[in-house]
Amino acid sequence: MANQNGSVYGLTLLCPILNDEKASPSHDLQIRDYLSKLTADSTSPFAIAPGTHLARIVVMDDVVYVGMPACEEHLKSKYLVFESNLDGDLDTYLTGLATTIPEHIDAIWSHCTGYPGCADKAKFVQYMKNCQIETTFFFAAVNDKSVPQTLTALQTQRAVAQFIAEHQGISPAETQRDFIEFLKVLDAAPPLKPAMNAPSRDIKTGGRNE
Amino acid sequence: MSKLNATDIQGFVLRGYNMPYARYCFLHFEDPQRARELLGKLLSIVTTGQLWDEKPKSTVNIAFTHQGLTALRLPIATLNTFPVEFQQGMKARARILGDTGCNSAEHWDEVWREDHVHAWLGINGVTPEDVAARFDAVNSLLTETNGARCLGTQDAASLVEDGAVTLKEHFGYTDGFGNPDYLGVCRATQPGQGKLDKDGNWTPLATGELLLGYADEAGELPVAPVPHLLASNGTFMVYRKLHENVGTFRSFLNQWSALYGAGDEHAKEKLAAKFVGRWRDGTPIEVSPDGPNPAITQDPNKSTNFKYGDDSTGARCPIGAHIRRVHPRDAFGFDGRLINRRRITRRGLPYGPYAPDDGTITPEQAAQLDAVDRGVIFMALNANLARQFEFVQQQWIAYGNDAHLGNDKDLLMGSHGPGEKYVVQGDTNPSNPPFVCSSLPNFVELRGGEYFFVPSITALGMIVRELVDPR
Repeated sequence: MANQNGSVYGLTLLCPILNDEKASPSHDLQIRDYLSKLTADSTSPFAIAPGTHLARIVVMDDVVYVGMPACEEHLKSKYLVFESNLDGDLDTYLTGLATTIPEHIDAIWSHCTGYPGCADKAKFVQYMKNCQIETTFFFAAVNDKSVPQTLTALQTQRAVAQFIAEHQGISPAETQRDFIEFLKVLDAAPPLKPAMNAPSRDIKTGGRNE
Repeated sequence: MSKLNATDIQGFVLRGYNMPYARYCFLHFEDPQRARELLGKLLSIVTTGQLWDEKPKSTVNIAFTHQGLTALRLPIATLNTFPVEFQQGMKARARILGDTGCNSAEHWDEVWREDHVHAWLGINGVTPEDVAARFDAVNSLLTETNGARCLGTQDAASLVEDGAVTLKEHFGYTDGFGNPDYLGVCRATQPGQGKLDKDGNWTPLATGELLLGYADEAGELPVAPVPHLLASNGTFMVYRKLHENVGTFRSFLNQWSALYGAGDEHAKEKLAAKFVGRWRDGTPIEVSPDGPNPAITQDPNKSTNFKYGDDSTGARCPIGAHIRRVHPRDAFGFDGRLINRRRITRRGLPYGPYAPDDGTITPEQAAQLDAVDRGVIFMALNANLARQFEFVQQQWIAYGNDAHLGNDKDLLMGSHGPGEKYVVQGDTNPSNPPFVCSSLPNFVELRGGEYFFVPSITALGMIVRELVDPR
């Protein structure tokens, strides 16, 4: 089924941006300005709202003319593109956005045509669904587990790897005793939060290696 | 594809000369006119890829940094068309390459600390006397033309053990197995050296993965400077002087192998093999998991002919072993297609004296061994520095995500911080247990290097005669 890949739902929205010649700066510029100031760490709105594996918000101005032999074409509007890979069903996710980060959602989407605001959750969910198009590609690094399951698995993996490294060559009885204690500590440990910093790597990464 | 003109391609690009001695000279041009005069004289002695009727006693090759091409006054419209990473130079790419901490430029040899190396002139020879004679001949050209100042030299040589020339590096591993085959470059292809086709057979890589001016694995021409004639039949070279902490390595191996398997001499050699993916004699552990086998290392149809598809758990060759990291073969699926644009060709030799190993080592001896100037001169050839060498260094040496190893780095090559580990996967056989090494020291430290452009013979002539015309 399109939009669904195992347990993960793929949401793609194309929301037309208001075209108001009197607005200064124009609505698309206001969205760009707001997006450029959003954080990408644990204070990101999509780390606060539940269930997001990956989210991307982009202002799409137009299709780019690349010269002959292409023919010159234009969109009828500028669009706000929202892509998200999420847990659970769409209604719950959208309601979650409206409940946990309403100020961000309103600040961004209030520049879009027909946006009703997220105070009325039923209208908000219906608006977003009206803007939805089918998703056929998913973020490859999501392993068919929910966000909390993934975070717990990472936490467990790190802890177990460290336990093994520290217990090589130690007697089975002692290892078992420590492991029982280790499990208690691990079970009681607070869960990781989304977008928490990974162990720091003193290396610069980037898609284009520049 | 068109037939390659071996007389136009520097021999160093097309083949390893298999000569045990080398001297690399680092030149600085002070006057473009006099430099061109020098290059004009060198042009007639540069070794090409033409097949030899009789093997020469020594060879000469040359390559330039972007600073060097600038000093030679190539047109600005040409200089600006070189790829960004080459224009920047290796030192400026430190954060991409992970050349930080003990690998950062303040720890480099003096010659590399300032950006004043303009050219690399490589001499290979059959004997040290052959290298010296050729160096004297080059030196007299330098004096005669006053075309360049030699900032320094680096001698390198195969290690001699018990009087015999070996292919080993200082940690004791036999090196130099894994160079790719390219279409038109190799006379005979060797299984395991090229790329996998859909049927699981090995075929040569596209020429454009090594040489500029030819289609690469994506069917595109590699990013290259204009004019086409300057770039064509040339390539880019990475030069890195990698110091090896031999004492640290031997201590680490003794310490951890005492806890591995039976903790005996076989367990020590097996753990050493698990670090690299080859037993120290070169036998691939994937093919021969229980011990080295000379019948495999001596046979070109076997020494590189293996895949990891049946070993997805890493029980034979650990997923993080050096040769599996830098050449994952089929390990990432998709018939190996994810790696075909990440291959590099390696040249180079060890430098410094071989330290005999009796298997025991004290902390004092380890510190003394570490302090001796020895290691490997790593040279890599590729059409695209960013896509090939830098990607391998960044993603497969300094990171583990592609192999599902998280932040783990290559054990021997990685620049390690606190809390890092090396995982040896295993199975239920008591002689092949799962094992984790932690508290990883730095086995290898970068002591300098640079990115070079290796021009064709035609391009060298264009530079000499000021015929480089980007219009």
